[in-house]
Amino acid sequence: MPRLDTKDDLSALRTSLAAARSHVRASITVCGGTGCQASGCRAVIAALQQELRAQGYEESVHLRVTGCHGFCEQGPIMVVEPGNIFYCHLAPADMPEIVADTIGRGEIVERLLYTDPVSGNTVRAESEIPFYRAQDRTLLAFNPRIDPRSLADFVAVGGYSALARTLAEYDPEEVIREITASGLRGRGGGGFPTGRKWASCRAAPGDEKYVICNADEGDPGAYMDRSLLEGNPHLVLEGMLIGAYAVGAQHGYIYVRNEYPLAVAHAREAVEQAREFGLLGRDILGSHLSFDVEVARGGGAFVCGESTALMASLEGKVGEPRPKDVHTVEQGLWNKPTTLNNVETWANVPLIMQHGAAWFSQKGTKGSKGTKIFALTGRVKNTGLVEVEMGTPLRTILFDIGGGASDGVAIKAVQTGGPSGGCLPAEQFDLPVDFDTLAQAGSMVGSGGMVVMDEHSCMVDVARYFLKFLQDESCGKCVPCRIGIDRMLEIVTDITEGRGRPEQIDLMEELGETVRETALCALGKTAPNPVLSTLQYFREEYEAHIAQQRCPAGVCRALIEYVIDEEKCTGCGACTRACPRDAIRGEAKKPHAIDAGLCHRCGICAAECRSDAVVVR
Amino acid sequence: MLQQVTLSIDGAQVEAVRGTSVLDVAVEYGICIPHLCHIPSLSDFGGCRLCVVELIENSRSKVTTSCTLLVQDDMVVRTNTEKIRKLRRNIAELLVAQAPNSRAIQDIAVRCGVSQVRYPFRNESCVLCGRCVRLCTELWSARAIGFVGRGKDRHVDFPFGVRPDVCKQCQACVQHCPMTITPCDGPMEPGEERLCGKCEAQLLIAESAPDSCIWCELGVGFGCARHAS
Repeated sequence: MPRLDTKDDLSALRTSLAAARSHVRASITVCGGTGCQASGCRAVIAALQQELRAQGYEESVHLRVTGCHGFCEQGPIMVVEPGNIFYCHLAPADMPEIVADTIGRGEIVERLLYTDPVSGNTVRAESEIPFYRAQDRTLLAFNPRIDPRSLADFVAVGGYSALARTLAEYDPEEVIREITASGLRGRGGGGFPTGRKWASCRAAPGDEKYVICNADEGDPGAYMDRSLLEGNPHLVLEGMLIGAYAVGAQHGYIYVRNEYPLAVAHAREAVEQAREFGLLGRDILGSHLSFDVEVARGGGAFVCGESTALMASLEGKVGEPRPKDVHTVEQGLWNKPTTLNNVETWANVPLIMQHGAAWFSQKGTKGSKGTKIFALTGRVKNTGLVEVEMGTPLRTILFDIGGGASDGVAIKAVQTGGPSGGCLPAEQFDLPVDFDTLAQAGSMVGSGGMVVMDEHSCMVDVARYFLKFLQDESCGKCVPCRIGIDRMLEIVTDITEGRGRPEQIDLMEELGETVRETALCALGKTAPNPVLSTLQYFREEYEAHIAQQRCPAGVCRALIEYVIDEEKCTGCGACTRACPRDAIRGEAKKPHAIDAGLCHRCGICAAECRSDAVVVR
Repeated sequence: MLQQVTLSIDGAQVEAVRGTSVLDVAVEYGICIPHLCHIPSLSDFGGCRLCVVELIENSRSKVTTSCTLLVQDDMVVRTNTEKIRKLRRNIAELLVAQAPNSRAIQDIAVRCGVSQVRYPFRNESCVLCGRCVRLCTELWSARAIGFVGRGKDRHVDFPFGVRPDVCKQCQACVQHCPMTITPCDGPMEPGEERLCGKCEAQLLIAESAPDSCIWCELGVGFGCARHAS
């Protein structure tokens, strides 16, 4: 491939790509993201390739394996153009039919269409699916259109034109002014204004500066950064190039966790391709910008998502945070001025430079502009990646996009912001989702995890789960985080196991405040949030555990009892055979009974019972 | 030439050399900020968090450790507000519940106003203040010991658990370990741990002047920087 030496080379490449693709009659897009790979898309792709060859469509039909579309639970998925036809839950055996019917005769394979769980209707076009329709896909819109392993694909949809324009028309200060004017705030959790961060880094003395892309995403259930980096690595790279130009950096790092093998591979491939095309290296696109990027892999520590710990890890040291009395924009990596932004933040940058700050800031609320990707998981009908305008009410995300409660049990709370976020109750579902509102309500936007819980979730147990996660992931450097989280976990465990005392609630609240104020890094400072927010909104659940020795959701094993409803029990014996403790006795065809002394409260009998006779009390 | 800056600590205008920490300056001026992991002349890593102070910036207050906070012109610091005393007391309570068998930790707890411990006592032999690690690394350049593991598993050990040749058994680590000073009545048996509180008489003076150094004997126990210098 020729090196792109000027801005005109780039537009010439784009024109030639368009010409080369003009003969394509139809295209099939198959999601090759990690979610779809887990549900077997590789076999589907292989079968499809074979079938296209067998039926003679190899040349005229363009098969594209893309990054994540976001609707992972429906995978493997496919979109056929023209017609925007959406097929889901595919198997290799479906391929001959799709190629023959849809490609060959233009007919639709009805049985592979998506059925909306809310209305029960089948939906033909991807754009008509309620899950997608209610979203505002700006960043994710690229994912279904490009092969992440092809720089040409990215260029064909307009990629790197923002960079070319920036280098030609803006000087670095103007870039920073544009980013500041757009109101872009960090998407990694802190929500710090990106423009201000860049300005401080630019102003910091020193010739050697760095930019870093933080792709060490570790929140349970959250995967928006993974999907962006996997599905569109060049967009992130383009953002970093613009950032490097603005702050005056010569080197960049993408710090991606090693548990994301596909993201690592795609990022590496993108960097190599960009080097080949001259988009990384010296005198990029004929400008004076010289910049190169290295992909570094994280070793599996959650705390390395914290900026100073990440930089320590990059330097080859133990990934531990350091006090931030001197900011990283002044002394960051190797003690040089460093700008660290999250994947999603970087991905927003080219769009802002392309369309202008005004375009970006027209979306969103007063303090939070643009769109934000959330990973919607838990007890809703539709789960997956959701991109919405900042300020969209929680209710819209949960009910219009998520489709509401999955098991017909009312949604009780939503946990936003990952382990450091908080649980918001149903009364708060009208809150607009933006940085400031969620923070005021005791939670946070965080990196964008959203876990939905229904009446079957015990909020004390939820707090215990997140504390356990944070205890495992705390680096252990400072006392409030290491011992404080441990003590909070000790108290919550006491409560879930029936040893709780009323005064422990106040103690935990006081301890939580102390940890929040005094911990060294953001992990520790936000660690009490799961406890403090559940105490704020679900205190009665804590009190029920302590005062009445009762778990209202029927989750905490020490506080519940499984009994058999004699009227419903048919005496089939399924529970008796399944019980690992031999705790269930009864004659055939007569109501059985559970020996509470032997019962381990595993719940297997309740799952096995066909007549819903096993109930939790 | 050394540059002088002027800052305000608890309302007092003090002069200090640029590059020194607020903790060092405060101790030098006789303002008491309890601390544990800090040793003069070693780097500060902000681990114990006992030396937290309030930094007032643009009429907003921010809690930060004074050992890692370097003095700046016109800086306003408050070391003994009610909020800070409460935070410190809670941290000291966590520490003493973790390691009651150290007179140093017991002294710190008393100095920070801990009058009851609301957590079950544990009998840990290390509070991970990291004094030994930094001494070995920075003063002796030996790097014979370091932190191993993460979070709950974090502990101080030799590389791969084997004493390397670079360790000359100089015992400097032992001398600076707060856990080597046992409570006055001797080590407490498991199950009999308690808040010692023997020094409460001294505290009466300390409590009437919480923000001033009274050259208390407590400082000898936990190796207060004022006694060390």
